[in-house]
Amino acid sequence: METEDFAADAALFARMRAMWQDVDPMPADLVDRMVATVAVEDLTREYALLTLVEASDLSAVRSETDTATLQFSDGATSVLVHVTATEAGTRRIDGWVDATALAIRLSQGEREWSTDPGEHGRFAFDDVPAGVCRLRLVVRGTDGDMRDFQTPQFEV
Amino acid sequence: MGAMTHESAEADVGSAEPTRWQLAAALFLRWRDGDTRAMDELVRLMTPLLWHVVRAYGLDRALAEDVVQTTWLTLVRRHESITEPQAVSGWLTMVARREAWRVGKLHRRADATETESLELHLPAHESAEDTAATDERSRRLWRAVGRLSERCQRLLRIVAFEERPDYARIAQDLAMPIGSIGPTRQRCLAKLRVLLEGDGEGGYSDGD
Repeated sequence: METEDFAADAALFARMRAMWQDVDPMPADLVDRMVATVAVEDLTREYALLTLVEASDLSAVRSETDTATLQFSDGATSVLVHVTATEAGTRRIDGWVDATALAIRLSQGEREWSTDPGEHGRFAFDDVPAGVCRLRLVVRGTDGDMRDFQTPQFEV
Repeated sequence: MGAMTHESAEADVGSAEPTRWQLAAALFLRWRDGDTRAMDELVRLMTPLLWHVVRAYGLDRALAEDVVQTTWLTLVRRHESITEPQAVSGWLTMVARREAWRVGKLHRRADATETESLELHLPAHESAEDTAATDERSRRLWRAVGRLSERCQRLLRIVAFEERPDYARIAQDLAMPIGSIGPTRQRCLAKLRVLLEGDGEGGYSDGD
């Protein structure tokens, strides 16, 4: 008797699960975005390293008119970074990655910043103190696979 | 290196088909032991459940996403405080419920128009294709659930998605005495069955 009740309850709960999955499904890309967000947060992770392929005026950003440009790549994915000085003496970092970015994080020593990836792989960090930085990214390639990278350290 | 392949979530947790909380525990332990990719699988396994638990609190979809994200970041930052790795599934849903409750309270205070109660009674999708895709039985259930009290709707949704609900915590969240949650659940289920029968559904207990 009790077992039957239990089975009947379980069946009704299963119907409710299916119903809610149907009427209120989670956003299609929520799982991928959560995987990416957690990945860039996890410092124990081993990231594939991008290499610096081009750099202009590295460490020469002193005034608001100076811009340094760096390009990182592993042959398949490229990340372009522009560094400008702000009025306050800090740095603004504008970046672009040629893949769909799911999560991006900038670290500088013990400090970390996250930013929401914008349209077409664009991202930006405002107000970063001058110093040695590193970017960690999770992107989705054209094949649909998710890949994670970090850049070598670079000075801003 | 760098490719985040979706490995099989099967783990050595016995010959019987492992439950979700067992899978979650196995993945969490693998991650703690240095297998960083096990975390990807844990996130894939648990995010759908967290979504439905959080939505049970009546948060809009954007806020619900924020709460799910906060839950995962809390795990990464505070995993050392988890003394019972076997219970990681329950720990995650507890964090999600706490955060959903907190955010929901803030949101209601800021927004006096009670959008929550409206939203709980409306399907998320109302386009013709979506409605057509929903079978009649499912729609009948949706109508019946929509006529239950908000408290019943919330409780049933949480219980439906959690395998091992933490009744003490749910009772606290819903401001119900702990002893009443089992009976409350049964009362909510009984009301639902009456509503389903009233809507022309005879054999309410067949779940096939």
